[in-house]
Amino acid sequence: MSDITVSERDRLQLPEALNRPAATEENAASPRRKTALAGKHVLLIALALISLFPVILIISTALKTEADVRVDPFSLFSSFSLENITTAWTEGHFGEYLGNSLLLTVPSTLLVVVLSTMAGYTFARLPFRGRSVAFYLVVLGLLVPFFTYMIPLYFQLRGLALLDTLAGAILILTSTGVSFGTFFMRAFFSDLPTELEQAARVDGCSEWQIFLKVMLPLVGSGASALGVFTFLQNWNNFLVPLLYLPGGEFRPLTTGLYQFTGGRSIDVGPLAAGTLITILPVIVLFLVMQRQVASGFISGAVKG
Amino acid sequence: MSSTITSTTPAVTRRAQTRLGIALIAPLMILVTLFFVLPMCSAIYYSFVDFDGINPNPEFVGLDNYTRMFTDPEVWHALGNNAIWIVLGTAAPLAIGLVLALLLWNVKRGNMFYRLAFFLPYVLPGIAIGIVWGWIYDPVNGWLNKALQSIGLGHLTTGWLGEPNTALYAVLATAIWASTGFVLIIFLSALRNVDTEQIDASRLDGANAAQRLWHIILPQIMPVFLMVTTITLVGGFSVFDIIFIMTGGGPANATNVMGTYAYNSAFKVSDISYGTTLALLITALSVPCAVLLNRLQRRLSLQGTGA
Repeated sequence: MSDITVSERDRLQLPEALNRPAATEENAASPRRKTALAGKHVLLIALALISLFPVILIISTALKTEADVRVDPFSLFSSFSLENITTAWTEGHFGEYLGNSLLLTVPSTLLVVVLSTMAGYTFARLPFRGRSVAFYLVVLGLLVPFFTYMIPLYFQLRGLALLDTLAGAILILTSTGVSFGTFFMRAFFSDLPTELEQAARVDGCSEWQIFLKVMLPLVGSGASALGVFTFLQNWNNFLVPLLYLPGGEFRPLTTGLYQFTGGRSIDVGPLAAGTLITILPVIVLFLVMQRQVASGFISGAVKG
Repeated sequence: MSSTITSTTPAVTRRAQTRLGIALIAPLMILVTLFFVLPMCSAIYYSFVDFDGINPNPEFVGLDNYTRMFTDPEVWHALGNNAIWIVLGTAAPLAIGLVLALLLWNVKRGNMFYRLAFFLPYVLPGIAIGIVWGWIYDPVNGWLNKALQSIGLGHLTTGWLGEPNTALYAVLATAIWASTGFVLIIFLSALRNVDTEQIDASRLDGANAAQRLWHIILPQIMPVFLMVTTITLVGGFSVFDIIFIMTGGGPANATNVMGTYAYNSAFKVSDISYGTTLALLITALSVPCAVLLNRLQRRLSLQGTGA
């Protein structure tokens, strides 16, 4: 068990190293090296543009006039108008979908962070008989793809009268995130020195106080990384609303977009605007919280 | 680690820890039981009955679903597509990601911009990715065909997602575009730990770039290499979203993988039991694979760190 913790810890530190600039190079002043470096930049910029091209295409198409979209939908930035955005927002119901996405994502993210922090603390620092059985169940939840049990889950929800309810979808989004979250938070709690809790115990703190007042404040960075990561996962989730919110009353952006693509005549302009409305929060969150995103995804990778 | 704590803690503390521990994991365990263990058991039950989604007392059919699965040619076709997906969808992001990481490794100026530009596709929702790539592949107005025409390769233009011969590879290319940034970020973080002195020394010894890569860099990032392989490979078994969104498994089943076949069997044809059995096969294939690769990776990373 301890070797898992060690390797986990190593990986959790990776993203920090990521944000530090490279230590070597660019000090070589020889002209040959300079041209090589310039060539490298040209190549990298070209590749970065290819990587970003689809996003540029979404923005460009969303911001065209309707007439321009009809003539030449994908030429870049050939006109400017917000009419697609307003059409998508009102007639396309994307304003509503955005609200639903928030209604689904915010509570499920909070639940994942809270439940994972509680359980992560237990699995890291509170040994008791039967704990390992519980832990194996959590690990199993990480290994088995959601795909395997999503069909029976549909009928189970129907039986519980939770199909097509916000509560049902939120609970499922939460349950798909907690296994990883618990694993993630456990690594953070395992890193804290044992002396801390021993000192607190000597001072007369109860176990509950040790958790709340001594340990909890020290894992804030982990919890926020988990929060950002989970928010993105749940915001982007497609299968859960597709299967468990079939009625459309609580349709979020992802299945709203899917619904839109299935329409009789696909209106490219408003569709592009809807896509932009869907990815804009993701891009903003990604740019503002890039460190947390990277650390979340890198440790997310370790889950297998 | 936990054993040392237990042996030195007094019984009172241990009892208090047990109480708090149970209280803290109770909500998680309820959730896991209700929304994972229970449906998992139902999945196994469904695979032994003939459930159409309506009849509350489905007939017990023994191994019928399983024998049907192994004699179903579409299963083998879908598994073949999964295999293509796994091989190319693992190899391409690894190769491209490694090349990009080596390119970016020593670049200081603009490093942050490049990293963000390459990583961004990975955090986008699959539905948005599917929509925009559908435009790029558009037979009439799409950028891909236009680009091919402009460089004199007009004879290669086709309806990428509508042609059975190209559809799977077109979707796969999209998936590669979306996942390469992730591989890159992981490689970049691994390259930070590579011993640069050793590289400088080998350069003085006259080792060329390929030799340096093969003998010095690759061995040092091997554990991470294996980790990324595990993730992309295991993900290849249960791939669903991007194919479902872009082609739904069509045209004429050309892009069917186990995931889309299971979904369509269960929800389009209402053959719940068969769909569930197919989904169980995905698990039976991917979980041992994940465990095995993880073991290997752990052993390698222990060797690598000299621990």
